[in-house]
Amino acid sequence: MNRRKFLKVLGGGIVGGGIAGAALGNIVIPKKLKAEGPAAAKEFVGILVDTTRCVGCRACEEACAQANHMPEPDISDSSVFEKRRDTTVTQLTVVNRFETSKGEVFVKKQCMHCNQPGCVAACLVKAMEKRKEGPVTWEKNCMGCRYCMPSCPFDIPKFEYHSANPKIQKCSLCWDRLEKGEVPACVEACPENALTFGPRRKMIEEGNSRIYRNPGDYITHIYGEHEVGGTGYLYLSKVPFEQIGFRTDLGTTAYPEYSKGFLYSVPLVLLLWPAFLIGMHTLTKREEEKRAKGGAR
Amino acid sequence: MDGFSYVDIFATKHIEYLLVIGFLLLFIPFWRLLNRPAKAIFEAAERIIPAISEWFRLPEGRYYHLGHSWAIPEGHQTVKVGIDDFAQKLVGKINGVQIPAPGSTLHQGDKGWTLKVESKTIDMLSPVGGKVVAINEEVLRSPETLNQDPYNNWLMEVETPKFAVDKRQLLSGSLARKWMEEVRESLLSRMNYNLGLVYQDGGLLVDGMARHLDREKWDEIVKDYFLVAEG
Amino acid sequence: MKATATAGQIKNLRDFWVFLRSELKPKGKIFTPFNVISLPIILLGGALIVYRLVKGLGAVTNLSQEFPWGIWIGFDVMVGVAFAGGAYILTFVVYILRSEKYHPVVRATVLNGFLAYVFYAGAILLDLGRWWNIINPVIGNKFGVNSVLFLVSWHFLLYMISLFIEFSPAVAEWLGFKRVRKILASLTVGAVIFGIALSTLHQSGLGALFLMAKDKIHPLWYTQFIPVLFFTSSIFAGLSMVIFEGSISHKVFSHQIDQKHQKSFNQIVIGLGKACAGALFVYFFMKVLIFIHGKHWAYLATPMGYWYLVELFGLVLLPCVLFLRGVRFENLSVIRVAAILSMLGIIINRLNISVIAYKWYVPWSQRYFPSWMEIVITMAIILAEVWVFRWIVNRMPVIQESPEWAREEKTHEESVTIRKEVPQWTVSAT
Repeated sequence: MNRRKFLKVLGGGIVGGGIAGAALGNIVIPKKLKAEGPAAAKEFVGILVDTTRCVGCRACEEACAQANHMPEPDISDSSVFEKRRDTTVTQLTVVNRFETSKGEVFVKKQCMHCNQPGCVAACLVKAMEKRKEGPVTWEKNCMGCRYCMPSCPFDIPKFEYHSANPKIQKCSLCWDRLEKGEVPACVEACPENALTFGPRRKMIEEGNSRIYRNPGDYITHIYGEHEVGGTGYLYLSKVPFEQIGFRTDLGTTAYPEYSKGFLYSVPLVLLLWPAFLIGMHTLTKREEEKRAKGGAR
Repeated sequence: MDGFSYVDIFATKHIEYLLVIGFLLLFIPFWRLLNRPAKAIFEAAERIIPAISEWFRLPEGRYYHLGHSWAIPEGHQTVKVGIDDFAQKLVGKINGVQIPAPGSTLHQGDKGWTLKVESKTIDMLSPVGGKVVAINEEVLRSPETLNQDPYNNWLMEVETPKFAVDKRQLLSGSLARKWMEEVRESLLSRMNYNLGLVYQDGGLLVDGMARHLDREKWDEIVKDYFLVAEG
Repeated sequence: MKATATAGQIKNLRDFWVFLRSELKPKGKIFTPFNVISLPIILLGGALIVYRLVKGLGAVTNLSQEFPWGIWIGFDVMVGVAFAGGAYILTFVVYILRSEKYHPVVRATVLNGFLAYVFYAGAILLDLGRWWNIINPVIGNKFGVNSVLFLVSWHFLLYMISLFIEFSPAVAEWLGFKRVRKILASLTVGAVIFGIALSTLHQSGLGALFLMAKDKIHPLWYTQFIPVLFFTSSIFAGLSMVIFEGSISHKVFSHQIDQKHQKSFNQIVIGLGKACAGALFVYFFMKVLIFIHGKHWAYLATPMGYWYLVELFGLVLLPCVLFLRGVRFENLSVIRVAAILSMLGIIINRLNISVIAYKWYVPWSQRYFPSWMEIVITMAIILAEVWVFRWIVNRMPVIQESPEWAREEKTHEESVTIRKEVPQWTVSAT
């Protein structure tokens, strides 16, 4: 082997090794999330949505479609605001316009990433998973039973009825991007700083401080702080939340708690019933024998 | 609950308890009502079997055997035995009766005598054990008297030194009435499948109820009630 | 008519094959009105099922993002399973309480229950969007034990096995396998006990599925006691179905039943009617109790409130009263009408919770109505089940008597048999 060849091999080896290392690094070692390293702290992340700042530009819708490889909506078309829209299988977030007592308010709608999600409790194959970092994500081992859909208080999961290989579609809080250390696409795209991303704890502090620093500008309530046990998406508003399309009758109990009682009675029944039944079976046997002996001769 | 005003979470507890008490009070009569056949059935049946408020007479002072025979103490250590009202109504016109001769030994619960009805013979069980000391010749000559008056036409007089023991297997008083009620109910339930058949006038008392239940196999029904069924 | 003696001796696979081929021949008229009507529906349903598998759920159903569950869940599964409840009640009465009175109908009821679960589990498979992944909760790939549906689906599987074990002696009698029948018969009580515990949980479990739909189901129907209500109503649902289906089978297969059993059947219907009356009575009070507890009387004066009252008074209290009347006057027609009404009440109740009172606030134009294809597939599944039931009843000792050798075995096994229908009384010692 001559020197040129040696350098070539060495160089190739270093480059190859570098690529391999980088690739390996991305798969095996998830990078720290940039925004104050919330994932590294192993606490839930959250997004604070300040509806007083949202102008309805729908840049978040466009960015979301791009990040999720979906058809991009035409965000210049403002006629969409004439009707109340819901998320769909191709639009994981939508912005709605509401006429309120204090003027126009724009509200971004998407999966709320509940602390104790109903959809996760409902899923019998663990396709819906609450990551310890906060986001609720969907996996392909899903059976398509759609039990997550009636179990979501916000009616978020959407099912691809038209497909023979249907998926459930909903916001994943850009889990793939989070793994790479980036922030969710919608947060990055928002030009008005209406969306703030960080640890949920800090988002609540931020929301509270905005409320108290600007008395009268906000309703003194962060929607999502306690609703259904607390959600990852938190909302601030200048008008009562019923006026901007939120249900305020959901209660503060996490949805899985509603089935918990039943689920925990299962082992009890499986213990008690067989015991009672065997007992009854044995008792009636003696009665039967007595009757046969004491009957007519 | 907003945490700023009073909410009573047990507000309805009073009414709930009252409701449960009401349920318990109602459930027992409901269940009893469910398990008793309606009066209408008795009324319909009474049109078939005329005249008496009770279907089958069960005079006091006698001891009844589950096979539908009776025993009544006669003199010192003897009893007279016969068939009960239900038995004669069930089989209808009795054509003949075979009674063991005086001197024969009877055992309680074993075959006592035989009735001849139509072309068939039906055994009946003896209510007591002992030695036959007398038989009723009248009944042998005119078996139809058994239909007319089953209680004053005795079949045999039996010497029963152990009547006190035998008595334990016999029914009297309220127990006997209860037993007859159950027999009546059991017959009612059988009759209802063929209520149409039974609504023929007159024939019932001659043909007997069993024949109205099942023309061919009436003897099996009778044997069932007389506790002499085979198998 | 005696059981098929042709089972005879099946010594090897070839014998079995010959036997099976002879059994596959139709055993009655081919062109009956029932066959002529049901066969095209079954075939059309089959074609639609293929279409659904190829094109997806949206092509065949009217399901939507607002209404993810339609009649395949709300009717096929929920009503079907409630109606199959007769199996666990009757096996309880016959094998645990040892009542000989109901023995004649227990086999047909267990068979019906088994077929109901098999066919309605089939219906679930159709409803699953990604049905190939159903293997996951079975093989333990990712057990979602947090889910009520996990419990329900596992119970369905285990209960089908229980019912099959309970029914298998009849299959062994058909095939003439004496020793196998003996072994299977010894497993019956265990399977019955297991089956009753399972049934309690999955009957209530089907109701528990909706516990997390708290803010979507109308307050008059939503309660944390939905599981208890479902369990209680499954009692009279199952028994009403036994009355209904038993009355039909009794007519259709009357050539298989001897005189003695013809008569005892009427007493069975009356007895079942009594149980239904009692269960409906209790259920009615439960619903009133829950109504008071929920404090939702303000809703009574609304359209949904009137609908609730129709369900409660017309389809719960009314059948209860009719059963009471029918039992007291021993009027079998009234009992049958009561059974049909209570079954209708179950259908309405399950549909209310799953699609009618579910998202009741959505305007009618966006509400769910089943598509004709969903209805045809549902009917095809039901009719196919009836066909299989008929095939089995015409060949195996379900309604007809077991073969001689099996009957001898049975009297041997049971240490006592109560044969008299006259009530037993005890003579008290004086």
